[in-house]
Amino acid sequence: MNKGGRKRPPPPSNPPPSNPPKTQALNQEDEFLDEDVFLNETLISEDEESLILRDIEQRQALADRLAKWTRPPLSPDYLAQSRSVLFQQLEMDYVIGESHKELLPNSSGPAAIIRIFGVTKEGHSVCCNVHGFEPYFYISCPPGMRPDDISHFHQSLEARMREANRNSNVGKLVRRIELVQKRSIMYYQQSDSHPFLKIVVALPTMVASCRGILDRGIQLDGLGMKTFMTYESNVLFTLRFMIDCNIVGGNWIELPAGKYKKTSKTLSYCQLEFDCLYSELISYTPEGEYSKMAPFRILSFDIECAGRKGHFPEPSHDPVIQIANLVTLQGEDQPLIRNVMTLKSCSPIVGVDVMSFDTEREVLLAWRDFIREADPDVIIGYNICKFDLPYLIERAATLKIVEFPILGRIRNSRVRVKDTTFSSRQYGTRESKEVMIEGRVQFDLLQVMQRDYKLSSYSLNSVSAHFLSEQKEDVHHSIISDLQNGNPETRRRLAVYCLKDAYLPQRLLDKLMFIYNYVEMARVTGVPISFLLSRGQSIKVLSQLLRKAKQKNLVLPNAKQAGSEQGTFEGATVLEAKAGFYEKPIATLDFASLYPSIMMAYNLCYCTLVTPEDARKLNLPPESVNKTPSGETFVKSDLQKGILPEILEELLAARKRAKADLKEAKDPLEKAVLDGRQLALKISANSVYGFTGATVGQLPCLEISSSVTSYGRQMIEHTKKLVEDKFTTLNGYEHNAEVIYGDTDSVMVQFGISAVEEAMNLGREAAEYISGTFIKPIKLEFEKIYYPYLLISKKRYAGLYWTKPDNFDKMDTKGIETVRRDNCLLVKNLVTDCLHKILIDRDIPGAVQYVKNAISDLLMNRMDLSLLVITKGLTKTGDDYEVKAAHVELAERMRKRDAATAPNVGDRVPYVIIKAAKGAKAYEKSEDPIYVLENNIPIDPHYYLENQISKPILRIFEPILKNASKDLLHGSHTRSISISTPSNSGIMKFAKKQLTCIGCKALLREGVHTLCAHCKGREAELYCKSVAQVSELEMLFGRLWTQCQECQGSLHQDVLCTSRDCPIFYRRKKAQKDMAEAKTQLDRWSF
Amino acid sequence: MEKEKNLHRLQCSYTCLDESFEIGKETYKGQQYSHIYFARLNLMRTLLHSLVSNWKPFSPVRPVLELEEGKECVIIGTLYKHMKLKPRVLDEYSKERSVVPLVKPHNFTHSDDYLVLEDEKGRVKLGGNFISPSVYATGVVVALHGKESGAGDFLVLDVLEAGLPPQIDRPLKSSEDKYVVLVSGLSIGSSNSNPLQFQLLIDHITGHLGDEMEQGIASQIVHVVIAGNSIEIPAGLINGQNLASKDLSRIAEPIKELDIMLNQIAAGLPLDIMPGPNDPSNFALPQQPLHRCLFPGSSAYNTFRSCSNPHCFELDNVRFLGTSGQNVDDLDKYSEAKDKLEFMERTLRWRHLAPTAPNTLGCYPFTDKDPFFIDSCPNVYFIGNQNKYETRIIKGSEGQLVRLICVPKFNETGVAVVLNLKDLECHALSFGTQLSS
Repeated sequence: MNKGGRKRPPPPSNPPPSNPPKTQALNQEDEFLDEDVFLNETLISEDEESLILRDIEQRQALADRLAKWTRPPLSPDYLAQSRSVLFQQLEMDYVIGESHKELLPNSSGPAAIIRIFGVTKEGHSVCCNVHGFEPYFYISCPPGMRPDDISHFHQSLEARMREANRNSNVGKLVRRIELVQKRSIMYYQQSDSHPFLKIVVALPTMVASCRGILDRGIQLDGLGMKTFMTYESNVLFTLRFMIDCNIVGGNWIELPAGKYKKTSKTLSYCQLEFDCLYSELISYTPEGEYSKMAPFRILSFDIECAGRKGHFPEPSHDPVIQIANLVTLQGEDQPLIRNVMTLKSCSPIVGVDVMSFDTEREVLLAWRDFIREADPDVIIGYNICKFDLPYLIERAATLKIVEFPILGRIRNSRVRVKDTTFSSRQYGTRESKEVMIEGRVQFDLLQVMQRDYKLSSYSLNSVSAHFLSEQKEDVHHSIISDLQNGNPETRRRLAVYCLKDAYLPQRLLDKLMFIYNYVEMARVTGVPISFLLSRGQSIKVLSQLLRKAKQKNLVLPNAKQAGSEQGTFEGATVLEAKAGFYEKPIATLDFASLYPSIMMAYNLCYCTLVTPEDARKLNLPPESVNKTPSGETFVKSDLQKGILPEILEELLAARKRAKADLKEAKDPLEKAVLDGRQLALKISANSVYGFTGATVGQLPCLEISSSVTSYGRQMIEHTKKLVEDKFTTLNGYEHNAEVIYGDTDSVMVQFGISAVEEAMNLGREAAEYISGTFIKPIKLEFEKIYYPYLLISKKRYAGLYWTKPDNFDKMDTKGIETVRRDNCLLVKNLVTDCLHKILIDRDIPGAVQYVKNAISDLLMNRMDLSLLVITKGLTKTGDDYEVKAAHVELAERMRKRDAATAPNVGDRVPYVIIKAAKGAKAYEKSEDPIYVLENNIPIDPHYYLENQISKPILRIFEPILKNASKDLLHGSHTRSISISTPSNSGIMKFAKKQLTCIGCKALLREGVHTLCAHCKGREAELYCKSVAQVSELEMLFGRLWTQCQECQGSLHQDVLCTSRDCPIFYRRKKAQKDMAEAKTQLDRWSF
Repeated sequence: MEKEKNLHRLQCSYTCLDESFEIGKETYKGQQYSHIYFARLNLMRTLLHSLVSNWKPFSPVRPVLELEEGKECVIIGTLYKHMKLKPRVLDEYSKERSVVPLVKPHNFTHSDDYLVLEDEKGRVKLGGNFISPSVYATGVVVALHGKESGAGDFLVLDVLEAGLPPQIDRPLKSSEDKYVVLVSGLSIGSSNSNPLQFQLLIDHITGHLGDEMEQGIASQIVHVVIAGNSIEIPAGLINGQNLASKDLSRIAEPIKELDIMLNQIAAGLPLDIMPGPNDPSNFALPQQPLHRCLFPGSSAYNTFRSCSNPHCFELDNVRFLGTSGQNVDDLDKYSEAKDKLEFMERTLRWRHLAPTAPNTLGCYPFTDKDPFFIDSCPNVYFIGNQNKYETRIIKGSEGQLVRLICVPKFNETGVAVVLNLKDLECHALSFGTQLSS
């Protein structure tokens, strides 16, 4: 199915009956909340379990088939537990279970058990139950509190907690309170430490409820009602555990022999399952041998559903008909398993295990069994989180297959479906479902794409066209049911298609190195891999901050409320852009990692910030503090070294190391790891600044972020001044240098000379000279020359990019219409081609002529329709839109024409703007491109001229031409206009068709078919013209249709694809129609 | 041909066999290319099936989908060559306009190319060293002997091509020498065309040149075949845009000139003219005969025949099959051989005139037939518009004899080819109008 395009979050429906009612009402961005899951709640009762077992026995044949895909068997020393277990962990969660009696003889009752899932280097799956780690947080200890007071406090708190957790069967809610010496990370403090209370609670969720009590205030003997500032009370339990045990996401963990115990009753499907104490874990930093990846199993899958005509598939009605699966071992090129499960028989597919079933129930259960046997560590796919997985689960619920949703690694534990409400300023509030599969990482490529890349379309088709240069056949969902209802051959066709959809995500994963990059990101930032996709940026910084703070004996306040009150601050500076077309080399001076450098250079941190009161009180010597341009005071590193600068230094040093290692590395896999690492380090370093400025974040500190930007502004200004003062004719240079533009971290200088090499030398000289005036590690670097350079305005420019004096590297553009979705392709092509002509060919008249030709083509109705198609997503039905929109109106009209093929909510609607009655509203002028093609409906060239082309084109040409608008948009080339006559308009039904002369269009007498009397004698030339047209179309027809055959991967079957994202879809259709017409025209000659 | 000695031009019987190449009233009704592959596979499979019993009597013939790992069998299907360098129309539309202009290489083969065999139901990737991807091209139908390897590939152990088609025995003819002249690439209207050269050729054919002996030979020329690219319309004149009337008449100029020249030949002896890629005909194969309205002068003669490309005919029971060169030129882009004649030989052995149509060679989407299937072996097989004159005789396993001829571009080489119908001997006729030093 066309993911991203058509798939949408299914409408919320009732969760499966036996689900634990632990749903989270609100999951605001970056709100971290723990959620206790009670082990026995998720497990299926005994009688149900036996029912499942019986079911499995019945399907022994299938089981044999699946058995060949199981993991390699355990060696004897593993079985005897005589060797240590070393594994790479990928996923981690916790459950509430009975405290382990042998390992923790002193405690009893419910406790949090951390489960670590991973893979050994032999490929065995591991489930490690970690006991004894307890949730806790800090509060600052009120002055004068003595041990006695602490125990009183403990009792009061326990009592209040008991009120809040009435139903809890836990013996002691607040386990203990310890007095510790710590220091808050906030503000520069002269004393080393203060007393803090570490409050240890029984269960992770109690941290939040305890925090609530302390936030609101608690009645204390002798002290009265008192509120407490809590510290580190917003740290997720698993993250807390990882930090305290020095575990980072995706690293290797070892348990020596004898330090672990095989579980008495195995609860998971993992090959190795054992219990241990958290203190026995050996966690390795990912270096050397431990930077490798275990051969974990990656499952890529896709489902097909047979929708009803005119409806998007809904799990309450439409069956799942096929599931294609591909399992690949990490690091291998070829998949280990390729199979497809189909409803009804399906012809065999070479190299693929085709499993056909008669009922949907069997298909679903076969897939469940397959998941269990193949036991994937990572599940990937395209839009699986929002579509495929919830669909499967809801479908199973509709069919009442209660035993289906056991997809996780915990025996008989159903997957949990969580309603999540995601709200953000950009998208509004969206409800969706999150499917939790215990022990398996979900990695939805659609989410990754949306997160990491800015693309004009995120359909699987256009994403694979973009990254793999492969077009994907797209079968419209209305055809899917027809194929399913056909014969084994047509179902095979569908299966091949389904397999391709399962294969492409894997290809993308390999091509874009996602596994390496994300695992490295997890290692660098220390969060579990699953956090990277499901959570925002700030948790990554928070994790690093917490780790560092722990080393320094610092604690982080839970300063949420403080954040929202703070206002905004002035952003980065942009120097006035002197728009124009520069035909001399422009040197670009860049600050390398500007914001991190500033934070390091000026020691900006939470713990070096001096409050205005403190500044007066502490009387710090002026040489020990920095006053930032924004007026804040920070102490220098000799008084107190900042944590953020330290984190940044480490990140940048690590990046340098990774880059050096990358150069040395020979093994491609090792290279991939290192490259992923240096990238992760770079991203992490840059996100620290954002963390301090995120007002809704975890620990915002606008004093830091505004100081950073103010320094940044100052540096840009400073650079501009130095360049313009030094590089002058007075100082012996050939020309006066001029700064024509400056952005956040770069300055563009025109030195006035025309040789690239000299400009490079001057650039280097300037960079070195100016860097000398900055505090380390702030460094100005000369990186590239733009030559020629077209500066349009702030953040909009284009130029040829030179790093070597002899040849340019590429054409670089910024902020220019090339990727915007709501532009038609014509705009993009026009802009790119013009820039190409202006910058590379240096042919401005050529570019002008090119634009004029294009405009003339448009007006003369010679433009290829596919270039004019505009596409918009239909997110809700017409009534829900407040303003009438072109694509929504069109969808309504199409539904009236043919409900079966009309776009549904979730589809993307392509349309063109057609000529309509005078005064018609823009939204009434939209039309389906295919309908336009078939009925010769005239498009509205003026709409395209005025609303699409003119702005982007004028932007480019205005710095170059004096009268750009007049020349380009109103010249003589706009005089002649040709509009085709629609073949479906009312009046045409009454018109009688009469042949006209091919030469002069004069009406022909009855019985004459080709030429009028006047044109006789010009047969040869006129025939040549007709035949040339046919010939051109034939060539196009052949090339287009054979391309489609190639995409679909079959010569002997008709092309079915209806991918409107494909650049040749409309051309193909048009070629077919034009061909038929041209042939008829040519045939008139044979009379 | 009244001369002093009253030489009489010899005659021969002529049968046109172009029927299968006529498109006639067929139209584009939305049909796709799958049908032509389907028709081709059906024709070829019947043929190959009958050969398999002798070739691998103990191996079962299986559909691609019923392969079983490790079991030897024979599969029959259409080859598809996956080519890394093959230009794709998609790239022209979708790729970012690249800074460096695309260099169009002459040949698109690459060492990473691989073959796939496809029947109506499925396809399988071919492995092993037995079958070389550089030799084959998409669209060829073969039988393969081998077995499925573990990875889902088919390990090829032997290849069976259909081989030369059966040849109708040629009744022994008189010992009379009768000559056929083959010429191509006149390119009238091109910047380097030399009217004098062509006039010399005409004068030679029609017997207006040389002494008696030479005229005597000329009188034995019984037929002329012009194999494509007779005119060249200046590039850029026809580009779909509206033309000024003076430009329009410029298009017709070379055609008028050609008509005048052909007039002279047709007045003397039978002439077949085939369209080529540059001629005012349709692009896709089979190219339809050039319209008679282009030749108001010559078409008045019944000796003037405008034919299709490919063109098949018989002269005194000698069967000719020829094209204007597109079929072999396309193979030359997508596969490799030591010379053009080898490509020609392969098309005969594959029993298919243009296997790369429709994949890389434009072709009409036939629904019920594949006109390029060669069911009967020609005696003479020629292709036009080649860079140089080459010829060879090949022999088939059943005694078939075929004369292969590459007819060079006359405009560039000044060479026409003369073939003797008596013994299929062949020589070049070279016209130079410049004194070479």
